[in-house]
Amino acid sequence: MASYFDEHDCEPTEGSTPFSQANNLLLQLARMLMEQGPELELDLTSLAPGERQAPPASKAAVESLKAAQISPSQAAKGASCPVCLAEFDEYEFVKVMPCQHKFHPSCILPWLSKTNSCPVCRHELPTDDPEYEEARKEKERAKEREAQLDALHNSMYG
Amino acid sequence: MANIAVARIKREFREVVKSEEAAKCNIRVELIDDNFTELRGEIAGPPETPYEGGKFLLEIKIPETYPFNPPKVKFMTKIWHPNISSVTGAICLDILKDQWAAAMTLRTVLLSLQALLSAAEPDDPQDAVVAKQYKENRHLWEKTARHWAQEYAEAPKSKKDDEFYDKVSQLAEMGFDRHKALTALSAHEWNMERATQDLIS
Ligand SMILES: [Zn+2]
Ligand SMILES: [Zn+2]
Repeated sequence: MASYFDEHDCEPTEGSTPFSQANNLLLQLARMLMEQGPELELDLTSLAPGERQAPPASKAAVESLKAAQISPSQAAKGASCPVCLAEFDEYEFVKVMPCQHKFHPSCILPWLSKTNSCPVCRHELPTDDPEYEEARKEKERAKEREAQLDALHNSMYG
Repeated sequence: MANIAVARIKREFREVVKSEEAAKCNIRVELIDDNFTELRGEIAGPPETPYEGGKFLLEIKIPETYPFNPPKVKFMTKIWHPNISSVTGAICLDILKDQWAAAMTLRTVLLSLQALLSAAEPDDPQDAVVAKQYKENRHLWEKTARHWAQEYAEAPKSKKDDEFYDKVSQLAEMGFDRHKALTALSAHEWNMERATQDLIS
């Protein structure tokens, strides 16, 4: 990433005050935040574990899960349901999570009525819990800010 | 017990028995009853830890709602570790609580516990006394943990560990219960006077 000073064709001077440095940092940060698309790849597995398990997946998210049929070749490869560990039969109907992990409906639905993440990879579905959603967004934002500050710091002093 | 739980435990049991780790004697499970509600686990103390060479037995209880809820696991072998109670064997590990996922298995649980023995998390302690020692006097913690592994987990003993044995024996000769003496010494930096005071109070 090009540093702030490259783009603006100037050098950080010896006399640059802590204030102007902090100011530059804020400008850079603001610009990055504006450029950012709404779709961010987020790793939620690193969220600090709370005392409580995350809330259930939202009704809408569960209802919109795609259904699929196990192909003969998938069955031949011994594809199995990660919850009950039983191998899928040919043409058996399964539910597919957005992360592409497949489950028996009778295995994934009880799980999602308890908590909102994929049993295999912890990919999170939305919940109907406004407090949890707000906390999740705040954590995502905090993480983004940290990553940006790191990148910025590296570009300025690295 | 619900059908899915029994079917799964049967499969998992075979998975552990056939696993590479079992072949290397790193992990083991045994059935306790025919209903698959209770199992006995065993993990080997990881190399380059104070637990090296020890064998640690685990009580594993499978809830009716398994695998939607985690198994209940505790150490039956007494152990000196920040995230395991030195009194009850209760374990503080996120995957056995809020971070459980239905795709986890007995094998992943046993391997996670083995990893916990290699890397304690003193900021999320189960045993505050052990965690404090771990943070403030790592060397003494290491020696104490090794001594517990030798005393309770059949870890091999070397000559240089005699000092701790002598202190425990001294207190035992005074009439104190051996395990209580060991616990008191461990909690008081192996200071005989303070351990004795603790034991008589
Ligand atoms: Zn299933
Ligand atoms: Zn997944």
